[in-house]
Amino acid sequence: MPEIKVTPLGAGQDVGRSCILVSIGGKNIMLDCGMHMGYNDDRRFPDFSYITQNGRLTEFLDCVIISHFHLDHCGALPFMSEMVGYDGPIYMTHPTKAICPILLEDFRKITVDKKGETNFFTSQMIKDCMKKVVPLNLHQTVQVDDELEIKAYYAGHVLGAAMVHIKVGLESVVYTGDYNMTPDRHLGAAWIDKCRPDVLISESTYATTIRDSKRCRERDFLKKVHESIERGGKVLIPVFALGRAQELCILLETFWERMNLKAPIYFSTGLTEKANHYYKLFITWTNQKIRKTFVQRNMFEFKHIKPFDRSYADNPGPMVVFATPGMLHAGQSLQIFKKWAGHEKNMVIMPGYCVQGTIGHKILNGQRKLEMEGRATVRILFQLDVKLQVEYMSFSAHADAKGIMQLIRMAEPRNMLLVHGEAVKMEFLKGKIEQEFNCHMPANGETVTVTTNPSVPVDISLNLLKREMALGGTLPDPKKPRTMHGTLIMKENSLKLVSSEQALKELGLNEHQLRFTCRVPLQDPHSDPDTLHGIYLHLKSVLKGYTIQHLPDGTVMVESIVIKVSSSAEDPNTKVLLLSWSYQVKYFHLLKKG
Amino acid sequence: MDAECVSLLPGVCEVLAASGRSLPDDTSLEKLLDWFTGLTEAGGSLLDACPCLLDFISTVVHNTASDPGVLSFTLRLTGLTAATEDGFQRLQERSVLNQVFHRQRWQEAGLWEDPCFRIGWIQGLRSMLRHPKALGFFVQSDFIDPLLQLQTDASLFVASAANQMLAHILLFFQPASSPGCNGADEKEEDGDGRTRTTSAEYTSAVAAISEYLKASLVPQKYTKLRQSLQILKLLALLLARAGPPLWDKLLQTVADSLEELVTAGCGQLTLPLMDVILAACSRSGADERVLDQHVLDQRVPDQRVPDQRLSRLLSSMLNVDEPADLVHAAAAFLRRGHHDIVHTARAVRILLLPLHIVTGQSLLGTNTTADERQSSMVEQLKCKSSCISVICVCLTNTPQITLTPSDSLPCPPQLIVIAVLSLLRICSGSSSSSSSSSSSSSSSPTGCSEVCRNVIGSGKVQKCALEALTALSSSPGAKDAISEVFTVLMQYLDNPDSDATVLHKSYQALVKWMSVSPDLSVVTDPLRRGLEEVVKKRVCDMRWEVRDSTVEFLGHLAGVPVTGTPALLGVRCTTPLLKEALQDTESYVRASAISALAKTLTHSWQQGAALSQEETEIVSRLLEILSQDTEGFPRRAVVRYFISWFSLRSSSSSSSSSSSSASLLTQCVRSVLSQGSADLDWEVKVHTLELAELLLDEAFSGHRGYGKDGAASDRTCTPPTHAEGAESQLAGVVELGVISALLSGLVDCDRPVGLRACRLLVTLRDAVCPPSPDATAAAVATVSCELPGWGWGQEVRKTLGMKGSDIAAEESIGGGGGVNEGGDGASVHVSVCEALTSLGLDERLKVLTRSSDHVHNSPLSLLQDILTASAAHTHPDTQPGQEVIVDCY
Repeated sequence: MPEIKVTPLGAGQDVGRSCILVSIGGKNIMLDCGMHMGYNDDRRFPDFSYITQNGRLTEFLDCVIISHFHLDHCGALPFMSEMVGYDGPIYMTHPTKAICPILLEDFRKITVDKKGETNFFTSQMIKDCMKKVVPLNLHQTVQVDDELEIKAYYAGHVLGAAMVHIKVGLESVVYTGDYNMTPDRHLGAAWIDKCRPDVLISESTYATTIRDSKRCRERDFLKKVHESIERGGKVLIPVFALGRAQELCILLETFWERMNLKAPIYFSTGLTEKANHYYKLFITWTNQKIRKTFVQRNMFEFKHIKPFDRSYADNPGPMVVFATPGMLHAGQSLQIFKKWAGHEKNMVIMPGYCVQGTIGHKILNGQRKLEMEGRATVRILFQLDVKLQVEYMSFSAHADAKGIMQLIRMAEPRNMLLVHGEAVKMEFLKGKIEQEFNCHMPANGETVTVTTNPSVPVDISLNLLKREMALGGTLPDPKKPRTMHGTLIMKENSLKLVSSEQALKELGLNEHQLRFTCRVPLQDPHSDPDTLHGIYLHLKSVLKGYTIQHLPDGTVMVESIVIKVSSSAEDPNTKVLLLSWSYQVKYFHLLKKG
Repeated sequence: MDAECVSLLPGVCEVLAASGRSLPDDTSLEKLLDWFTGLTEAGGSLLDACPCLLDFISTVVHNTASDPGVLSFTLRLTGLTAATEDGFQRLQERSVLNQVFHRQRWQEAGLWEDPCFRIGWIQGLRSMLRHPKALGFFVQSDFIDPLLQLQTDASLFVASAANQMLAHILLFFQPASSPGCNGADEKEEDGDGRTRTTSAEYTSAVAAISEYLKASLVPQKYTKLRQSLQILKLLALLLARAGPPLWDKLLQTVADSLEELVTAGCGQLTLPLMDVILAACSRSGADERVLDQHVLDQRVPDQRVPDQRLSRLLSSMLNVDEPADLVHAAAAFLRRGHHDIVHTARAVRILLLPLHIVTGQSLLGTNTTADERQSSMVEQLKCKSSCISVICVCLTNTPQITLTPSDSLPCPPQLIVIAVLSLLRICSGSSSSSSSSSSSSSSSPTGCSEVCRNVIGSGKVQKCALEALTALSSSPGAKDAISEVFTVLMQYLDNPDSDATVLHKSYQALVKWMSVSPDLSVVTDPLRRGLEEVVKKRVCDMRWEVRDSTVEFLGHLAGVPVTGTPALLGVRCTTPLLKEALQDTESYVRASAISALAKTLTHSWQQGAALSQEETEIVSRLLEILSQDTEGFPRRAVVRYFISWFSLRSSSSSSSSSSSSASLLTQCVRSVLSQGSADLDWEVKVHTLELAELLLDEAFSGHRGYGKDGAASDRTCTPPTHAEGAESQLAGVVELGVISALLSGLVDCDRPVGLRACRLLVTLRDAVCPPSPDATAAAVATVSCELPGWGWGQEVRKTLGMKGSDIAAEESIGGGGGVNEGGDGASVHVSVCEALTSLGLDERLKVLTRSSDHVHNSPLSLLQDILTASAAHTHPDTQPGQEVIVDCY
């Protein structure tokens, strides 16, 4: 039996670095190649030695597919392709290809900023890696080789995020990456064909949650920023260069306009221009509203958001600053945080998750006294009293439990496989899903093997389909299988269901008529013609609407059934009814009824 | 251990033991273990340093309802704690060890299901197995069987850990005479009774494992294949590192099974099987030469697996029926670098056969006998996916093949280069049939065209062949093929179907071949013209990847030394193309163009030639890029351009013809320093500081106190001696903007910038600012620099502790012209030396030299984080919505 094997090297029962190996129809595919930001050593990358063995990755892998630009999905890519060594194709959507290097550079900077970092990729490696990327368009089937094809679908998680349908022969797998089933301010909802994959590999970050509407979170965010600004405070929003930052910029921009606010909004490190450039460039990947209003006004041309200079941090009065990096590791965001932390009026809003070992992690857990390294003073360490307000607001766009079920209904998979979630939460969702489908949740390093049905493809002739339609059948519906009659012929290694006439023609055979006969004894004292006439009248009365003829040659015809009467030689009262019909099922009931 | 950590640890243990669930951050427990491992490796006793750990372990293991993550952590921690005999003893006294590693108990509790728990069990035991007592405990507890079962665990990670652990047991506790062993050797010599027991335990472990290897190596059915695979991996590990007695024992145990496996010829086992045989071979004949006689004497001759038997196994492996397996086995053999002539020759023939078939080149000489299994190989190559995979393996090995001794080679190495070129032609469709490419009678068996069809257009084969071709440039006699190499590469560069990576690799190959064959007289004029045209075309390609590779190629080309003949592409051709590329829409291409221009102009800078009009235009365009380009890569490249120019110019003697060029360079340097140090990109700033360093080097390299080790020197012990002119030199660098760049870098928020600036300022201070006042000092002290009233200037002023009154005082130093404008925004002048001595540079340097996250990635910080995270998550006021959800980034 054919098998599909799925082995997560990352994202198996965790939300760490996604890296899933799929083996389908003899092809090996790597889905995502993420890194874990919580580690500074080898553990941050997936352990590729499990797949390289003695050979090179290029020999083993047929392709790599990256679902979106978040580092836990693409952060290990330059390491894999340039340091471990992979020359094969890497697929990602156009926006992901454009944005990925920005985030990789952003992260490289953080890494170089820390001392003693080894085994890390350079700018040149990022570029060389990106040169190997083949961009994907939505809904376009890309032939990786003669047998393997892939097709991308909109995932709505971040700009350019895609789900991907992988097909080898008749076997197929869908990998969702991260996705969102409800449209937000700048992105639409995920959508996929009813492609009935053998396996649907779905993320399950919010497997147990029915999330409140994002609108509520947005209102809450704006309220908090507004309150802080009103009381003269400064608001720091640490972000990664791209993604959530743009979403929050749109929010603030429209709010500022609506409320006619004057406090300045800044975006640090000069990345905004490039980021917004991409959002403008890939406007077709945003939601309908943004696309519609694009002609009158591009949502990503911000009037209120200006580039930040480090000296602005000391300016008096309220302001909002977006600064990188997102977890307050180092750099600009940390420098501003240090300046503003001591004042109750100020606020820091953490719009995403922070790994242990960062200031972001500490303040989110409520630490109010932080040991800090001082460069400006003679003292090396000093204690920072965190008096500013700390808020956590998750704006991440993942499907919740309801959304995941919605996607399952859309795609109608034969098997489900959950990744990118916490084990306990996955277990809960698995229980729900298993009411309808087989569901797996492998841990990292565990292989799930799914046996697929050996499907035999059969072509059906158009004539046969037309005939079936003409007979009053409904349009073909894969949900409601029904019987179809035809002749199955095998020709040149392929199977074809055709009408018998066509089969004869194609196989060069002559048609032979088969007739079935039967004899029915009957006690009737009348003469043979009278008996036949009696039968004729009887049939005429019970089979209304059918063609019944009493022919001069002493036969009665009911449609194509021929009836004759003959007397027995021994007993003239015993008549024998001779019935003859060709093999046509539809008339068989007539015989019974008659 | 840090006293503060010691004080926090009991609290952390309490939290972990009580919570019954894992921590919100999945890395915390791993990092905690890292810390404990570090402490153990440093030689300390964990239980002495952290007595609370004993109670923690006891508490957690008694609670089977604990989170599997916490339990797994506890198992590993227990192993670390028991890694010393003392720790082991103390855990035994508390009867903890039996509880901790009691597999059945965990199975009953349903925890064994979790792979992270099984990993914890293995790793815990492995950490513990560092002394004989631990081995005794391990063997007496009958842990070998479960460990052997885990070798075929459903989780790759568990199975691999089990294999490593089995190898560890056998290798670590080898008897003393084995090279590299760590076992109970010393005590054994002392005649210690317990150690003798351990020795017996080791023997029993070896026996149990050997028995298992023998019984399970040959799979009884297909489903057991994985087990065989794992055993082979284990054997390869063991045979590569085992000392003679163990090595002999193992090999003797498995020799028959290995033979059986080789005969059975199971494709999936070919590579691991080859690994085992090669590992065994590498320790037999070859190693015997280096082992001393004492070790050799220990071998019981009758029990040894003779080398001939290994050699026979190897021969069988290089003679398996399945062609794909054969190729893989041969490749593995060559990769291991064996030098046995017979087998090398065989492996080479195997690897050349597919190329021989596809290309029709007589790689195997005229003597292609039936033993080459030519027909079965042809059949194999007719299947497309198998053909591509086999051809790629062969191609990857071609460079290695050409380096084997000539008596192992069936053909001259040049012919292999020709074959790779033929293959490249076939791939691109320019040579459709292999039979047509060679008239040799031995070539082109029937079915070749079917095979050729499989590689036509295959990007995988093209890339592989181009890589092989690049590596083959250093093969003996390869130079003879240079003309043909150029022709084929030109075809690839010109081919509209070539994908971006193929083009990139073609350029790389071209550069490599040029660098090994600087005499380009063989490159004909039509080829040169062809290249010029193709480059002109590719530099305008739709794909930025292709444009970038082309521009990079032009840069590399400029760096390749050429003798006798004109360069492949003249400056007249490349410079306009590169100038054009400065306008490219893709920043990567703009940056590559700038770097390529710098390489192109290297020669003219070194010669000190006068600047042409074109070069002057380029310079002004580059300055525009530095000030206006929205992306970092081109701006970084611009600064590097000026670094190259400045450093190369410095090395040449100045002449009158280059005076205008020198003055332009000075203007540019000033501009680059001011713009670069104010750039938003950290790498632009770092490069700007590199330029500043070159300027400092030039100004002060004659000064005896000018050392560039960057370390803070003890200034009281070695007062610098000042040469004449320090004052004017300092004034010069101030005037150029070097000091401003350094001071602005010093207060930068990015550590690499701050560190570089700080190092340079320390060097400068030590060179020019004397610790004690004298006449020279007084003169140098009059040199001042400007601190703007905003940004970095403001921060430096704050650090200097300058208030309004200070600023007024500084005015006198600056000759009264310090304050340009009134109010906060006014700039001031400060004495350079005074600033350098008052900025606390040495302390700063200490801070900057450390990792920027050393405070928050420390054990103390980790312990604090665990405590606060746990408090935050158990706090009654915590609302569900407030929970920090582990999320993507």
